[in-house]
Amino acid sequence: MPLITLADVSKTYRHGSLEVPALANFSLAVEAGEFTVLAGPSGSGKTTVLNLVGGLDRPSAGTVTVGTLEIGGAPAKILADYRLRRVGFIFQSYNLIPVLTAAENAEFTLMLQGVPRPQRRRRVIGLFAELGIDGLEERRPGDLSGGQQQRVAIARALAAEPDVILADEPTANLDSRTAEELLDLMRDLNLRRGVTFLFSSHDDRVIGRARRVVRLEDGRLAGDTGQRP
Amino acid sequence: MLSAFLYAWRSLWRNRRRTLITLTAIALSIMVVQAFHNLAVGVYARMIDDGVRAGSGHLAVYRGGYLESREENLSFAPGELAARIRTIAGVQRVLPRVYLPALAQSSSDSRGILLIGVDPEAERAVNPFLKKLPEDGMLRDLDGRDAVIGRKLLGDLKLAVGRKLVVTAQHRDGTLHSELLRVRGVVETGIADVDGSLLMVGRERAALLAGMPGEVHELAIILDRAENDRRVSPALAALTGSRPELAAVSWKEAMPNLANAIKLDYASQKFIFIIILMIVTIGVVNTLLMSVMERLREFGVILALGSSPMRLRRMVLLEALLLGLAAALLGSILGALFTWYLVETGIDLKDFIPETMEFGGVVFDPVLRAAWDVSWMARIALYVVGLTLLAALYPAIKAGRITPVEAMRHH
Ligand SMILES: Nc1ncnc2c1ncn2[C@@H]1O[C@H](COP(=O)(O)OP(=O)(O)OP(=O)(O)O)[C@@H](O)[C@H]1O
Ligand SMILES: [Mg+2]
Repeated sequence: MPLITLADVSKTYRHGSLEVPALANFSLAVEAGEFTVLAGPSGSGKTTVLNLVGGLDRPSAGTVTVGTLEIGGAPAKILADYRLRRVGFIFQSYNLIPVLTAAENAEFTLMLQGVPRPQRRRRVIGLFAELGIDGLEERRPGDLSGGQQQRVAIARALAAEPDVILADEPTANLDSRTAEELLDLMRDLNLRRGVTFLFSSHDDRVIGRARRVVRLEDGRLAGDTGQRP
Repeated sequence: MLSAFLYAWRSLWRNRRRTLITLTAIALSIMVVQAFHNLAVGVYARMIDDGVRAGSGHLAVYRGGYLESREENLSFAPGELAARIRTIAGVQRVLPRVYLPALAQSSSDSRGILLIGVDPEAERAVNPFLKKLPEDGMLRDLDGRDAVIGRKLLGDLKLAVGRKLVVTAQHRDGTLHSELLRVRGVVETGIADVDGSLLMVGRERAALLAGMPGEVHELAIILDRAENDRRVSPALAALTGSRPELAAVSWKEAMPNLANAIKLDYASQKFIFIIILMIVTIGVVNTLLMSVMERLREFGVILALGSSPMRLRRMVLLEALLLGLAAALLGSILGALFTWYLVETGIDLKDFIPETMEFGGVVFDPVLRAAWDVSWMARIALYVVGLTLLAALYPAIKAGRITPVEAMRHH
């Protein structure tokens, strides 16, 4: 059974009287351990898919299932807990909390989970070493480069040991060399830890590094390479 | 180490200047409210003290019905009572008094007066106006012919110290009795009514005139502190219990003018306090709301990361709590300093007002001094912390309503 299943999903946003279809009869299955990119032009629905899978939004029609959780019908409380324990988010603009240090940012979800402090610290120190940002623990996000900030964000996403990491254009704000480094790092984590990665991009070099490319156009499936070795 | 507390504290200081301004505003309002409350407490205490010393004491014992009718037949023999009351903890002095409406005549004129019979020694120790009299201006004994007279009455009767006058009052037997007195001292209370009708003699002299030897109309009780009336009253009731014809009355009942004037004054002050605190609270709502609106994206991220809306609301409330606590601490320190100044130095109104100031029938000191009311200061500091939390309620609810998708899309 796939980890993530979108079956006949439609999502329509409302702008007053205007209805904007973001997804139309979109279906997709993602197995645990995949390293899959959602590709497609701006407005094609990539972010919408990630928001649905992340439990930040509900489908207008169809079902989104992650593990045994059906997102559309789950109460808000369950969705918050689902995001807290099973999903890691990485955002295009990093979204670190500026008043917290790098290590404190990475700890944030662990704090929300109620993990005891020493354990939190230990896990974050390990992750910082693994992600090549050791020594930056006490820096504030404002004192870090984009690539470093995104690594801190990856540490934050990984710290909670989620089943799936959702990353919406994680490299769009980075120069291409940093972007490639970061992608290799993510791929490495995917291989070693077996974390499922679902991310979006319209950068061909990034897309080229994914094992599976799912193409969207106007909210519809426009191509799927399937898992490549 | 990361904690909700740390996040709240650092967030609070994100906009340092705005937080400082808000903190200062709250602290200053606490300072003003605390200091002016303490000033009021000090001034009222002083007025009550002056009032009870010149008047009927903090507590007074009368024959039932006397206070309402002022009927001079309603006298009583204090016997051992005065001495026993003196033994109650908190009682400073017990002053037996006789009051007689009478007519005073000099060789040139006559006036209706109130003849007051007192224990000279005890009375002088307490009464602020008698205290000012020189030694040779004071009554010498309980049944002598010395009289102390109000300044205005002295003038009305065209008398002078050392001159004689005759007082006439009704005797128990229904006939009028007269007595020859000699002016020994002159007092001036500043209250025209009193200065125009006061004639004070030894207690037994007055009692004999009315044919009630050994009896009094009033036992005025002076306490060490006005607040002690609550403790002394029951003990007093126990002492007078065996004499059902007697009634104990507190200064609030005996001097309703003063009690009401204080009540009214404090009520208007309280109203101002409430307005001040309301304005500050609105300012705090504004600050906290701004701080939430600026962080919609961050709150969206925190919700996306898996915080429940309730938890996010608590984070906002925690920030407000820290702000409130910091302000309460700072404000109370400032309030204490201000109060200390008002206790030590006070506010001198001498240059702003006529020679005597009257309030609820009591003349009061032109130097206003505060008195410490620490428990009230603590209470107001706590209220303000509560108000800050109240002010945070709407911003917190607003933060909890954020939808992460919207927040991250637009901000
Ligand atoms: N919250 C929203 N309210 C209204 N319309 C929305 C909302 N979110 C997305 N849309 C619309 O839905 C469509 C799909 O948007 P989506 O953000 O999923 O595209 P995308 O592929 O992520 O685009 P981009 O590459 O620009 O990020 C677009 O037309 C967009 O304007
Ligand atoms: Mg997008």
